[in-house]
Amino acid sequence: MRYIIVGGSAAAISAVESIRSQDHESLIDLFSDEETPLFSRVLLPYYVAEELSKPLLNFRTADFFDENKVASHMGVKVTSLNAAAKTIRTTDGQTYAFDKLLLATGGKAIVPPIPGIDKEGISTLKTMADAERIYNMKGKRAVVIGAGSIGVEACISLTRRGIKATLLEQLGQVMPTVFDAEAAEIVRKRIEDLGIDVLTGEKALKFTGDKRVTGVVTDNRELPCDMVVLSVGVRPQTELAVQAGLTLGDMKGIRVDETMMTSARDVYAAGDVAETHDIARNAWFLNAIWPCAFEQGHFAGLNMAGQKSAYPGSYRRNSIGNFIGIPAISMGVTHAESCAMTSDEDEFREIRVRTKDSYKKLVLRNGKIIGAILVGQTQKAGLMSILLKKQVNVADSIPLLMSDRLNFMDLLPILRRNADRFSEPEYKELMDTGL
Amino acid sequence: MVDKEKCTGCHQCELWCGTEIASTSRELARAINEEPHPAPRVYVEGKPFALQCRHCESAPCLDACPNGTMRRDPETGLIYVNEPTCIACWMCVMVCPFGIINPSSSMKVAIKCDRCRNMGYPICAEVCPTGALSLVERKDYRKKKF
Repeated sequence: MRYIIVGGSAAAISAVESIRSQDHESLIDLFSDEETPLFSRVLLPYYVAEELSKPLLNFRTADFFDENKVASHMGVKVTSLNAAAKTIRTTDGQTYAFDKLLLATGGKAIVPPIPGIDKEGISTLKTMADAERIYNMKGKRAVVIGAGSIGVEACISLTRRGIKATLLEQLGQVMPTVFDAEAAEIVRKRIEDLGIDVLTGEKALKFTGDKRVTGVVTDNRELPCDMVVLSVGVRPQTELAVQAGLTLGDMKGIRVDETMMTSARDVYAAGDVAETHDIARNAWFLNAIWPCAFEQGHFAGLNMAGQKSAYPGSYRRNSIGNFIGIPAISMGVTHAESCAMTSDEDEFREIRVRTKDSYKKLVLRNGKIIGAILVGQTQKAGLMSILLKKQVNVADSIPLLMSDRLNFMDLLPILRRNADRFSEPEYKELMDTGL
Repeated sequence: MVDKEKCTGCHQCELWCGTEIASTSRELARAINEEPHPAPRVYVEGKPFALQCRHCESAPCLDACPNGTMRRDPETGLIYVNEPTCIACWMCVMVCPFGIINPSSSMKVAIKCDRCRNMGYPICAEVCPTGALSLVERKDYRKKKF
């Protein structure tokens, strides 16, 4: 058996670990267009902030490839994929044959078509090269465009380095895909307390300056600045998939079945590039987040190595931690309305509890959790996560779920009613206590 | 393992886990007044039952941790937090299906039960006055009839 893995981040590394759990001998070749191996993309803002040095960005030790007998080709781009002949070609002019291939090519930062976008001092924050570019930029004022997780974290990174940052978001709130308006307001206050100017409902129209950017013109004002970070989102990197004729989904990600296989036999996809069934939305969706990438890589690896395992589906999970300064966790959908494919019989419910320093919200469809937001108090958030993942009816336990005394053992009756869905030994042994 | 017949919900395990594992003084009288407050890694819950980390075979916390801070000891299979590298992103808190990973009181690191992996014998089992908590092989525990 000969495995090829295209990509070097979460999904790729997780797939390597899973393949090796089944198959200790076969050849694995891994190609990544990054020069630096094994760094965690989600930590790049920490690097910009000087919180973590380069070695501390690694999520696996430097000997990972040796230990797992992987031939790693760092900085080598795969230029073409022939799914029928089962070969790839790379930038170093070589052709490699495979029996099983994984596309874990991830996402590409979107560069919006704003006039002046190619001026110096404007960068996305997705690759190690991006992080180094931003780290080395000189100046006192920055504008960050797009208030998603990366945008907010980029602002904080620059602020910690003594740079005055302005966060610009064209929608009406910060982190619009992560929080509802109420949670976003709490987070926004916290960001503003750090000295960051937050402008929402305002759009960047053009960049000023000759060679180098000197300002951002919005629909309301001109913001003078020395640098700009673009964080308006990512889109799946599907050039190879398109060229190989693989089926893409409505969101332009690579469609995979529950074994993570694409429309081409023996070609798999996982991570930010893969469009999977979203449990919360009950629709195909791109959940470009670290835990999903790791899980999908895990299932892809097992199936590639011949161990049939069905991926239960993805759902969004975001946590903002100490870096932003307030614990907040959000998962699934933020509003009942964001659910696609609803039938007339579906019954939606939103439940909220707000105290002085915390906010908790549950979104239910037919008594099953499809979304949760916890701000300020995030203990036991994982219980919401597992109840969402397993799609079990919790309608009779709402007061417990919304209270501070929520705990696993009190959820055992729900587990027992749905024992077929909680078949893992860890649940079973606790159910067997009879409590 | 926890024998539910013997667990009276006395919280001794929480008290001594907090003192022995989390406090700097390791003396109960002082630990009570320490700031930040020492937090235990075992939680007496429900009816009652002392719940610790299950060290899952397929552990969501290992998948969610973005920098390899959450680790599994290859020899014992126990999962632990490598505290010096924890960046307090709370991804593990978000995915733990048992809710037994939580932020420390100082909010600097994630804390969880590592079954006292460096101490030989778990403190919770050592101090349990009724013998409800004890260290047994997992396969024997799973066979036990309650």
